[in-house]
Amino acid sequence: MSESRPVSETDLHAYADGFLGEAERKRVETHLAENPEAAQMVADWQAQNDELRGAFAPYATPRPSDLALLSAGSAASRASAPSRLAMAAAAALVFVLGGLAGHFGPMLLEKTPVMTAMDALPNEARNAYLIYASEVRHPVEVFADQEAHLATWLGKRLSITDLKVPNLQTIGFKLVGGRLLPVADKPGAMFMYEDDAGRRVTVLVGRNGENKTTSFRFASASGIETFYWIDGDLGYAVTGDISRDLLQKIAEECYRQFPS
Amino acid sequence: MSQSPDPNDAPGHGGREGTASPPPSFDAQILALLPQLRRYSRSLTRSDTESEDLLQDCVEKALTHRSQWQGANIRAWAYKIMTNLHLNARRAIARRPSVGIEEAETVAASALPSDPLARNRLVQALETLPKEARAVLMLVAVEGHSYQEVADMLAMPVGTVMSRLSRARQMLRQKLQEENVIHLRSPR
Repeated sequence: MSESRPVSETDLHAYADGFLGEAERKRVETHLAENPEAAQMVADWQAQNDELRGAFAPYATPRPSDLALLSAGSAASRASAPSRLAMAAAAALVFVLGGLAGHFGPMLLEKTPVMTAMDALPNEARNAYLIYASEVRHPVEVFADQEAHLATWLGKRLSITDLKVPNLQTIGFKLVGGRLLPVADKPGAMFMYEDDAGRRVTVLVGRNGENKTTSFRFASASGIETFYWIDGDLGYAVTGDISRDLLQKIAEECYRQFPS
Repeated sequence: MSQSPDPNDAPGHGGREGTASPPPSFDAQILALLPQLRRYSRSLTRSDTESEDLLQDCVEKALTHRSQWQGANIRAWAYKIMTNLHLNARRAIARRPSVGIEEAETVAASALPSDPLARNRLVQALETLPKEARAVLMLVAVEGHSYQEVADMLAMPVGTVMSRLSRARQMLRQKLQEENVIHLRSPR
């Protein structure tokens, strides 16, 4: 026993915080046994620790909004690091997906070269889907009961004359509503649909600067599937957590209904 | 996971599966840290709203300054960012619509302790602590950082950490004794 060394206040704190090894702990306990006032003080500190941990422990739980938080952070950091925006948003998204499935890491966009609008589209679509489709109370800004207003409003913001909100009733999906959101840094539109089982799909429409036309493309990550295509100067993406066959049907239906 | 090969060779997608499990990415690590960062944020601030603002700023800053992260101990780095933001910034109240309020309120309600009165007093007593002393106490008592880690985070000697910690504990003890909240063991 190193009784020669006096017990310092730091030792007492370290004891209360559980930072001491076996021998040190014994030394402090010997000291406390002989110093009731110090013992009382340390006991109070430990009680404080317990109270504080108990008071704040409930905050240390993952929340559905964590994804949105990370995405918002990515979006904000875009301002200072523009080249990274798309990557960050996409990365945040995929990470969250991985997290939801209990797997971080293996499928991340580690180093993506310069991303074009076409590359960003499926990522932005997934991002929007993850953020908004899980919203219970505010999934959209304008609900389906104001469909005409929704179409005029978003059409105006995207400079699309006669924007039509696709009707997916024949496939079993009813319009929930829509919202304005940034797509590749420009105003974009998102429409949300829901089937009887409450499964949601989103349809994203954004301006495409490159003015090229592509065939249907398909992207998938952790069960969230996206069909996307570019038609002239507009890009489209259909996203959902449903079978690819069904999603493709919806995508084809949208393709038919959107003005070309 | 079900990452399907892209039939139409979309660039930037697919072809990432083959590589042997890389370490969790930066974003994944930040995401995993969010719950404990939220706890720390709440322990520094006066309300759920303020706490969510601080958390949001911290995440934003971490993502913006990701290049400054040296690849070691991202947890300590994130705590350092939050601590500095909190200690340095004059935070304007309600300067942005807070996204997570509803959830935060739900959590706060479920966080009610067995003795709400006691815990309420504890939280009020915390408000009387100097910011730095409070941060040190939370980093040690709630977040479980070692004294040396806290010293590194705050860029101060361990001795200063200890005196802040001591001050926080004594102030809290005094305050709570006045209020009779922590029931002392029966005097000998």
